[in-house]
Amino acid sequence: MIAALRKGALRDVVVVIVVVFGVGSIAMLLAHVSPLDGFGALFDGAFGTPEEVAETLVQATNLLFPALGIAIAFRAGLFNIGAEGQLILGGFAAGWLGAQFPLPPYLAVPMVLLAGALAGGAWGAIPGFLRARFGANEVIATLMLNVIAVLLTTYLVTGPLQQGGGGAAETAALPKAAQIPDLIALAADPHFTLAYLLTPFVVAIVLAFVLWRVLARTVFGYELRAAGEAPEAARRAGIDLGRTAFVAMALSGAIAGLGGATIVSGGLHRFNTGLSPGYGFIAIAVALVGNLDPRWIIVASIAFGMLQSGGIAMQAEAGVPREVVTLVTGLVIIALAGRRVVANRRST
Amino acid sequence: MNATLAAVLAILGLTLVKATPLIYAALGGVLSERAGVVNIGLEGILIAGAFTSVVVSGATGSPLLGALAGVLAGMLLAAILAYAATRLGVDQIVAGTGLNIAALAGAAFGLVLVYHQPGASHEVPAFGHTGEVVFIVLAFVVAAALQFVLTRTPWGLRVRACGEDPGAAESAGIDALKTRFRAVVIGGAIASLGGVYLSLAELDLYSDGMTAGRGFIALAAVIFGRWTPLGATGAALFFGFFAALQYSLQRAGVPSQLMQALPYLAALVALAGFAGRVRAPAADGIPYVRQ
Repeated sequence: MIAALRKGALRDVVVVIVVVFGVGSIAMLLAHVSPLDGFGALFDGAFGTPEEVAETLVQATNLLFPALGIAIAFRAGLFNIGAEGQLILGGFAAGWLGAQFPLPPYLAVPMVLLAGALAGGAWGAIPGFLRARFGANEVIATLMLNVIAVLLTTYLVTGPLQQGGGGAAETAALPKAAQIPDLIALAADPHFTLAYLLTPFVVAIVLAFVLWRVLARTVFGYELRAAGEAPEAARRAGIDLGRTAFVAMALSGAIAGLGGATIVSGGLHRFNTGLSPGYGFIAIAVALVGNLDPRWIIVASIAFGMLQSGGIAMQAEAGVPREVVTLVTGLVIIALAGRRVVANRRST
Repeated sequence: MNATLAAVLAILGLTLVKATPLIYAALGGVLSERAGVVNIGLEGILIAGAFTSVVVSGATGSPLLGALAGVLAGMLLAAILAYAATRLGVDQIVAGTGLNIAALAGAAFGLVLVYHQPGASHEVPAFGHTGEVVFIVLAFVVAAALQFVLTRTPWGLRVRACGEDPGAAESAGIDALKTRFRAVVIGGAIASLGGVYLSLAELDLYSDGMTAGRGFIALAAVIFGRWTPLGATGAALFFGFFAALQYSLQRAGVPSQLMQALPYLAALVALAGFAGRVRAPAADGIPYVRQ
């Protein structure tokens, strides 16, 4: 496993730990809380009981999907900042279609997940197409599409597709057949059934290993990495950069959209405007900390899942505002902005 | 007839109010990008300006000192980004994204520390109506000045050279890294005025999320305005007009979210080249590394 650590990855882990604990401690001291109590409450809140462990893993899953999508795009040299919008749109498509078309279980779950992946993929394909066809900068395009996704889904669930009770901004509840079990349900009622093989956490981990294999061992993965690391050489070798950009962005969006669908199908059981507290942005930190390698991104997602779930307890038990977690996440992104992605850009 | 005239004037007035923070932010973005650094962190700089100016104005009782502190905070954030982008060769997009996340959370955390309540600050001494007009006029003055500086002065030429081809600029004796750094920091100062305007001129407090993505609309305005100060100002006015129109159209039954989406859609269309050729500075967003 150690051999898998890329050059500089160990240094990054040290940087992340220094930022998290250093800045976290300073912030806690400012809030007149001993860092020992603050971090104690955070760890206890993340791992204290089986339910809390389950919540940590659910948060990790919600970050893992968009982080994997981001990693695919980044590896292809494309800055997909739009995972948030892709995830939201995927969640919306899953929630709306799932409630609209009741199907038997073996059809309903695949339909809901596929709907999410297709919607997220389409949302990712737009900047991919604009880049491939017009050379449009994908960063700005994905930023704009994030806001458009939020506005569009908010309009739909407060307007024409509003189906929640009492005028709530949400779609109707998913029928049981379209739901997949999540780990919180397992922790509350520890009777393992085969259905738990479809729990989002398991799906995400399987997906991570599939993507790792695809990147490392397939022609498609090779073309993707070549386009990211040496676009000029890739072009001379006959790789169609436009097509690669389009496919990478669509795939990246589809993975984030699938994540949105699993949040709806596995946890919320409907789409509402509070689906994501910024998973698509935090996932940028997860992808960078995981060194853009799907296997390490699993580890990183659990670390950030812990911060997410423990942050609530930290606020409740120790009185440290949970914004500290987001602040630290932003700083981690800045601290890690210097790596590997840079090489991709310089040569374009 | 008089009622119609009054309605038109109200919309035009509201257009200026809504456009002003966008103009400041977009001008900061233009200067930074013309020097070759994409400033995704504009939203964070607006937040820093808005939040810091409220805290300092509340502590000192002077909105002017507050504004000064807000500008310094914006410059500090821009300096972090500029240092990372020029000296560390860090990726500007990723660093700017981190900056936005950290600034939003930092301000939310700061609210709890300073005011012991989440969500919003207390009301603090602010500029009031006269001050608001001054800020609006100043935005156009800065726009004209920046247009002049970029096109007619040696420093402006150096900035543009660094945005097009920093290697060539260096061989002509220009310190590209220093020029980029300064352009980003000055751009941060200009952009932060948009934040100060929001919290101390249009209102008299800071609340979470009050910048509401204006930093991103400003990025759209930069593109729509084809990377020129006057163009970006025009684009900001255009977006401000639709923001103002929103209130009237909402009463007529047009959903507000669809109106709000307009600037973003316009930017996408501009990006795709449907609104005539748009061309970013050639070295925009590409870290420069000395050979």
